[in-house]
Amino acid sequence: MPRRSEVDGTPLTRHAVRAGLMGGVGIVYLALVGMIQAFSGTSLIGDVATLARLLILFPPFIAGYVVVRPRVQGGETVTVAPIRALTVGAVTGLIAGGLTAAGVALVEILPEETVRNIFVAVTTQLIDIVTFDRSTVQGIAILIILAAASGALGGFLGVIRLRIRRPIAVGIIVVLLLGMLQDVFRVALIQLGVPTAWLYSARFGGLTYLGGVVVFAVAAAATLVWADRRRLARAQDEEEPAPDSRGVGQRPTQMLIAVGIFVVLALLPVLLGTFLSSVLGRVGLFLLMGLGLNIVVGYAGLLDLGYVAFFAVGAYTTGVLTAAPDSGSSIHVGLGFFEAAPIVIVIAVVTGVIIGGPVLRLRGDYLAIVTLGFGEIARVLVTSDWLKPFLGGAQGLIGIPAPSILGFSFRDPQPFYYLALAFCAVAAFISWRLATSRVGRAWTAMREDEQVAEAMGVSTVKYKLLAFACGAGIGSLSGALFAVQIGSLAPSSFSILISIQALAIIILGGMGSIPGVIVGGLVLIGLPGFLSEFQEFQLLIYGAVLVTIMLLRPQGLVPNVRRMRELREDEEAQDQWAKDLDADTRRAFSAESLGGPPA
Amino acid sequence: MAHLLEVDDVVKSFGGIYALSGLDMHVDAGEIVSVIGPNGAGKSTLFNIATGLYEPDRGDVRFEAQSVVRLRPNQITRLGVARTFQTVHLFPNMTILENAMVGQHCRTRTGVFGAVVRTPRARREEERIREKAREALEFFGSRLAGYRQDQPAFALSYANRRRLEMARAMATEPTILLLDEPTAGMNPRETLELRDLIVRMRDERGLTVLVIEHDMRVVKGVSDRVVALDYGRKIAEGSYEEVANNEQVIEAYLGTRATG
Repeated sequence: MPRRSEVDGTPLTRHAVRAGLMGGVGIVYLALVGMIQAFSGTSLIGDVATLARLLILFPPFIAGYVVVRPRVQGGETVTVAPIRALTVGAVTGLIAGGLTAAGVALVEILPEETVRNIFVAVTTQLIDIVTFDRSTVQGIAILIILAAASGALGGFLGVIRLRIRRPIAVGIIVVLLLGMLQDVFRVALIQLGVPTAWLYSARFGGLTYLGGVVVFAVAAAATLVWADRRRLARAQDEEEPAPDSRGVGQRPTQMLIAVGIFVVLALLPVLLGTFLSSVLGRVGLFLLMGLGLNIVVGYAGLLDLGYVAFFAVGAYTTGVLTAAPDSGSSIHVGLGFFEAAPIVIVIAVVTGVIIGGPVLRLRGDYLAIVTLGFGEIARVLVTSDWLKPFLGGAQGLIGIPAPSILGFSFRDPQPFYYLALAFCAVAAFISWRLATSRVGRAWTAMREDEQVAEAMGVSTVKYKLLAFACGAGIGSLSGALFAVQIGSLAPSSFSILISIQALAIIILGGMGSIPGVIVGGLVLIGLPGFLSEFQEFQLLIYGAVLVTIMLLRPQGLVPNVRRMRELREDEEAQDQWAKDLDADTRRAFSAESLGGPPA
Repeated sequence: MAHLLEVDDVVKSFGGIYALSGLDMHVDAGEIVSVIGPNGAGKSTLFNIATGLYEPDRGDVRFEAQSVVRLRPNQITRLGVARTFQTVHLFPNMTILENAMVGQHCRTRTGVFGAVVRTPRARREEERIREKAREALEFFGSRLAGYRQDQPAFALSYANRRRLEMARAMATEPTILLLDEPTAGMNPRETLELRDLIVRMRDERGLTVLVIEHDMRVVKGVSDRVVALDYGRKIAEGSYEEVANNEQVIEAYLGTRATG
């Protein structure tokens, strides 16, 4: 049909223009919020690829990639040929670069003050960065060309077969990660006695050109080999399905991986030094919180937005029970951390049940709102004058001693890391055991269909309370660690943001999945901690990452298979509903137009 | 001796519309009783009240001489009343076996401690749960055995979802089983198969069965007694033949005979 190709052709260009413009807006936005300038100091590869330049070329790349992705049009999947994808991607990038260039030109033409008065981030340095340290005309040309090339690369990667795309993508990501985490890896490698001169440039800090190429090649090759092996294994599996033998065959590898991970975890603080270990300790705190919240949200399906309450209960109970006499609290018990911990857990569990009680009948959104309220109540209580004699009010508590065993103190970042790691390991183990038991089954049944679960004999009252109690217990341990990490507590630490961060961790990682929580914690708490440039923009990046993940991978990075299906089902149900509605409307219209009797 | 299940003058209205308006009926141990009636006669409401999903406005439901009104559904299930739903309600993302294993929940006790420590008692119990669940699935013979039991329940065909739902209910080890239109959506052959299965539930498992059914061949084939409802009231009761020839029942289904 001649009309079809026309229909196909027009939207692609239109999509390209639209994506290009959005990419351009993306660059301008990043520039205006100051991210590009803030990141200009970090070199990734040699002196050419700085983080700032990468950030400039990232939006066109994404735009080019998105434009050429196969899309469903009129019930058919339309794919784009590779050559076409290259050109379309290039056009997309060109538009994005062009828009940015126009912005640069505008800034150059207008009197300096006009722009600076509104957009404080627009400085001469920023213009220099965006024009690649050349003259304006030259710089604009380079900007447009590079953006076009970036868009073309995105377009190319968007249509190429998965077998090739994956190694390239993994290669690029690994290079970027090694470049960005240069402080982490270089320190670790030096500690291990590995020469780093070939990998990391001494002058610029980032990877050397050789290092970049080698890392890319190794990562890409490894991905290719691994993917091929997996495909082969899967093909064999389909030929002769032997579920039993597969389970046995996997066990040694799994054990090996587990041992490997354990060794790496044990060595990390030694390799990374004090500062990075303290970042890891923070990751541990949030990981612990994520694991606890995962029981409530991921397993039992109860959306709790006030999880900070349990964190606060844990922290303040620990503070009051262990602090020195003049801590700001009139109560002086003077227990050791490990003696206090069981009491902390008990109190938190009781709090969990108290909070869980009134919200038992609520579901979904309503539950979320009420728990949100409880989180705020916790914050108000610790700040209040009413509890000031006990909790120290706005001044908080001081003089909380470090946990110690036989005189060995856990205050320094490295020992603290081990303490946090041990707590996390125990929490993960408990989560795993619970998930694969009668209790976990009851939670899953309740999450899938509360009413039916109850009709099948699951006491939803009991299991909701149980979920709150377990979550509270683990969350309070996180708070306890928080209290002893610094040795003082300020009520401002217990804001709603803590709840949001914990929730973000499990959403990003994948609800109901323990590996997911770990990955989520590392990405959301670890990365910003390692990359000091990111700190300032942490919340901005949080938001962007969460929106992206929700759009592209709603099941999370390392999903729990069951949760993933539940999400997909919801979507399908919606599609089906829309389709039915459509069909009904159509039928109604055709019946009308045929003059048939109304249905 | 008292009846196994006794419904005593139960009234239930939804916003002024009476789903049940003074229903009296009973089921004796070892009986298979069918409930028939046109749509909206209150059959499913009866089930929902008997299993604790709804609370009656008035009247009482007694199981083994104990009132179950105001008990929570899980407590009633524990007492020995299990049910299936008119529209299938499985846990679609749990495996076939896990679905049946949930049924065993009310007969077992492992708590958080047992689950985390995996005490010998917890391990034995988990094994028994698995065994009982398999046993419940096996009652449906090759039909459910054709699937691997570690497949998710949503992979099942419609008829098999119904079978799994019945297996899950049987895994709760009930005294009485309430089946809500068990043959809906099944083809004629499957329907007849199920008719025999319902009879076997009583003969082999010793279950008392209360079944809502529209297919008259099934009703005829399984029922010791038939109860006909209309407008939330019992309009006839007795053997299949008696009820099938009852004027009021015919009227309820077909409308009043044209006079004159």
